[in-house]
Amino acid sequence: MVMSASPTDEHRPSTGRYLDQSKIQAALDQAQELGASYAEVRLMAITDSSVALRDAKLERAIPGQEVGVTLRILADGAWGVHSTTDLISLPSQIESTVRLAKAVAARRSSKDKPVQLAEVPILEDEIHWKPKKDVRNTDLQTKIDHLKTLHDSAADDDSIISVTCGWSDEHLHTELMSSEGMNRVWSFQRSLINASVTGRDGDEVVSYRTRHGGEGGLEVIEQCDLGQLGESARIATLRLLKAERAPSGKLPLIADRDLTGVYIHEALGHPCEADLVAAGDSCLDGKLGQSIGNDIVTVVDDPTIRGGYGAHPIDDEGLDTREKKLIQNGVLTEYLNHRETAHHFGLEPNAGARAQDGLHHPLVRMSNTLIQGGTHNDIDELMEDIQYGVYACGSRGGQVDTGRGSFQFAAQEAWLIENGELTRPLKDVSVSGLTLQILKDVDGLTRDARLAAPGFCGKGQTVPVGDGGPTMRISQALVG
Amino acid sequence: MLPDDAVDRIAEGCRQIGKLCQNNEIQQWEIVATQSYGHSIDIEAGKISLAAGGGEGGYGIRVVEDGRFGYAYLVDIGSADNAIQQARDIAKVSPSVAGFLLPSEQKADKVAGLLDKNILSISPEDLLEQADAILSEVSSLDERAVVTGGGLGVGASAGAIYSSEGIESSGVTTSHGIGVQVSIDADDELTSSFEGDSSRQRLTNVPDCVAVAVDWAQKTRGPIEVNTDAHDTPVLMTSEGFSPLFSMVVPSAIRGDRLVRNESFWSGKQGELVLANDLSLIDDGRLEGGKSASSRDGEGVPTRCQTLVENGRLIGSLWSTRDAAQQVAEGRIEQAESNGCAVRGGHQSPPSTGCADLQMVSSQKSSSQDALLERMQDGYIVHSVMGAHTANPTSGDFSVTSSTLLRVEGGEILGPVKQAGLSGNLAKALSQEVYLGNDVRVQGSYSSGNMHLPDVLLMQGLRINPV
Repeated sequence: MVMSASPTDEHRPSTGRYLDQSKIQAALDQAQELGASYAEVRLMAITDSSVALRDAKLERAIPGQEVGVTLRILADGAWGVHSTTDLISLPSQIESTVRLAKAVAARRSSKDKPVQLAEVPILEDEIHWKPKKDVRNTDLQTKIDHLKTLHDSAADDDSIISVTCGWSDEHLHTELMSSEGMNRVWSFQRSLINASVTGRDGDEVVSYRTRHGGEGGLEVIEQCDLGQLGESARIATLRLLKAERAPSGKLPLIADRDLTGVYIHEALGHPCEADLVAAGDSCLDGKLGQSIGNDIVTVVDDPTIRGGYGAHPIDDEGLDTREKKLIQNGVLTEYLNHRETAHHFGLEPNAGARAQDGLHHPLVRMSNTLIQGGTHNDIDELMEDIQYGVYACGSRGGQVDTGRGSFQFAAQEAWLIENGELTRPLKDVSVSGLTLQILKDVDGLTRDARLAAPGFCGKGQTVPVGDGGPTMRISQALVG
Repeated sequence: MLPDDAVDRIAEGCRQIGKLCQNNEIQQWEIVATQSYGHSIDIEAGKISLAAGGGEGGYGIRVVEDGRFGYAYLVDIGSADNAIQQARDIAKVSPSVAGFLLPSEQKADKVAGLLDKNILSISPEDLLEQADAILSEVSSLDERAVVTGGGLGVGASAGAIYSSEGIESSGVTTSHGIGVQVSIDADDELTSSFEGDSSRQRLTNVPDCVAVAVDWAQKTRGPIEVNTDAHDTPVLMTSEGFSPLFSMVVPSAIRGDRLVRNESFWSGKQGELVLANDLSLIDDGRLEGGKSASSRDGEGVPTRCQTLVENGRLIGSLWSTRDAAQQVAEGRIEQAESNGCAVRGGHQSPPSTGCADLQMVSSQKSSSQDALLERMQDGYIVHSVMGAHTANPTSGDFSVTSSTLLRVEGGEILGPVKQAGLSGNLAKALSQEVYLGNDVRVQGSYSSGNMHLPDVLLMQGLRINPV
């Protein structure tokens, strides 16, 4: 029975570990005896809670605990994977998972390269990013109080017909043991608060979303002026009620920090993921070392930025995380990779493996991705020589076709720029383009780069990410 | 794949937790359990990259006391006492909703076609063979074509719901799905198309979607020049291109709570024309083989087939028990009750309101794609869009991008367009001149349920901005 045998905190051994190390070591040894070249067990225990307020009333509060474990076996150059919520049954799955990997390998043609893993340091240690205020000790009333502060400032107008506020926090504990002797434990927390504000004026209905969050405990929420966050959302919602539809066409575009972050995540970050490159599904295939953007563009992905929503100390293959410099002065310098793709391309592993939870295997993923700052002092300098363009702010999300290199992202609100000045508010602005063109068209960046609002990235699995940068000008973008 | 006693064991787990609730003198309680098993194959770069299997599950506990509810979930039944206490503590600080009671037992007839025993016997090796067949088929259709991503999988899920109000229901459903991203990278041009199919029944070894993916990767090659600025134009959206936008915007607009809270673009329009006057929306929670169909909804209420929009006129809405009680208690509507539309995201969440198998149909004769093109004359065929999730469900406004579209002039396809922006308001476009194709296909959803949609020709209300 899958779910009946999973231990909870109360049943954890006195070592503080969920995995029984001697049994897992025996299982990993067995996998090797059966022909596995590599075997790995990764467990993730997530203690989380979510709270929602609708119009200042508690709508729902859900505390929970999930424990999942994934066994990954490489045999004859192919992967077999088993995932379960039943920790105790895991050793009994070794044989069938080795068989599965071998069955995949048997179907490979002679021209297919067998999967091999880049060598990495084998470490046995524990790293715990301790929050200043552990969210697991935060009571429900405290969460409700913060949500009410956000709600009250967001709802303070007759045209605001609904405000839904949400809270989520999670403590993530991961254990990884491998046949190479890797034996690591790490933990950290994330906290997030958000509001969705709906305004109505006659038949005109608009909505605006705002978020604040990051790696850490209750202190992440306490650092935010929630009254200000709610007020900004309210003002933006009211402005959208009066906004006009955006013009369509190729126009100069200035993007705020939020939108710059989503742009670089979609347009560049995804095509830089080495598993997509290896699969023949990236427009950046073969372009390492080549100039692909304006030389003012430098982009990093950095999971070590503490407080960023995509921060994590160790990747889901057990490697210490580090900054990846994806573009340096317009030149593509690095792919995001995991051990398999690092070996495939003959590159240094850079700890880009992330899994959604203990029930998913790791993929190459982004963490905190941002464009570094430029030389302009402020938005006024970016705007001063634009006769007719758009300033777009806040993100409603985006999407990319990594193979074709085309992307789309949508703004929450925007302004028309006329003769170097912001004039009328706009709504429903989206921007699309081609990665390899638009990177060349970035022609202005302010100095003040930093992470913007937290986000989530979907690639079959959903992981939290941070994006950001400075305020950015694109000389010509397709605005819809 | 599924242990013989899977249903019995989760049902027994529900009973045990229910007993604990009784011992704790909880006024009303409801226990749900899910237990899923499956196998899957990932495909990358034209080969099988990984084979996986496994299972997961857990229990959810909803307690209701004096109109206040609390919820908690767990994996290990040994921690049920703690979870019950957590749920009870939450209920104490939740607002009391007058008249909110858990639903009582009502007879619910089985829905056919939700379980295919043939799926239960599919082994990982069977799936590997199916993957091989798909890869071979793609190569045989076009030797340049490669499956660059996607995969296939089978699953079986046991579910149970037990409550203090006498509901005791359990069952098993199966699923079989495939999705393939086919790319053609030749002559300095890369085109691709993602297509998928899924069913509660075993799929054929090589489903039609594989050939469709190859076809779209082929016919979007060699883009033509379109020398026009952004302009309003008729657009024929294939079922695959239309459903992401439709599912983002329409299911939330017909939720009862959003309608009465003025959060829907159809708020205040009960009885009025909201769609073209030949169009109807039907949510069939009892559709045979429906991917979201079941005998009971997410809180045990018998499901039904209901017409929400009839010949363009809004006549219904979706309700779950608590949403209905809350909106009545808060005075937004005089009378409302559950109509079997509670949906859940598994054991980890309490029920909310949503559709099951949502269909859009026309009282007019549906047309072949050729007939729709003839009617459209000049415009575009859009087969997929990027950024549908950025559409605004509150207003119906959207602005997306497509790289899988064809230019049509005089009813004839001229050729593919490299990329274009597509914008408009879906609610307004659907209320104008709309024609439906005759080939309904089942699509997934950005919100709840599944969408049963044909190709849709929208004659007005859309704007295309070609690159």
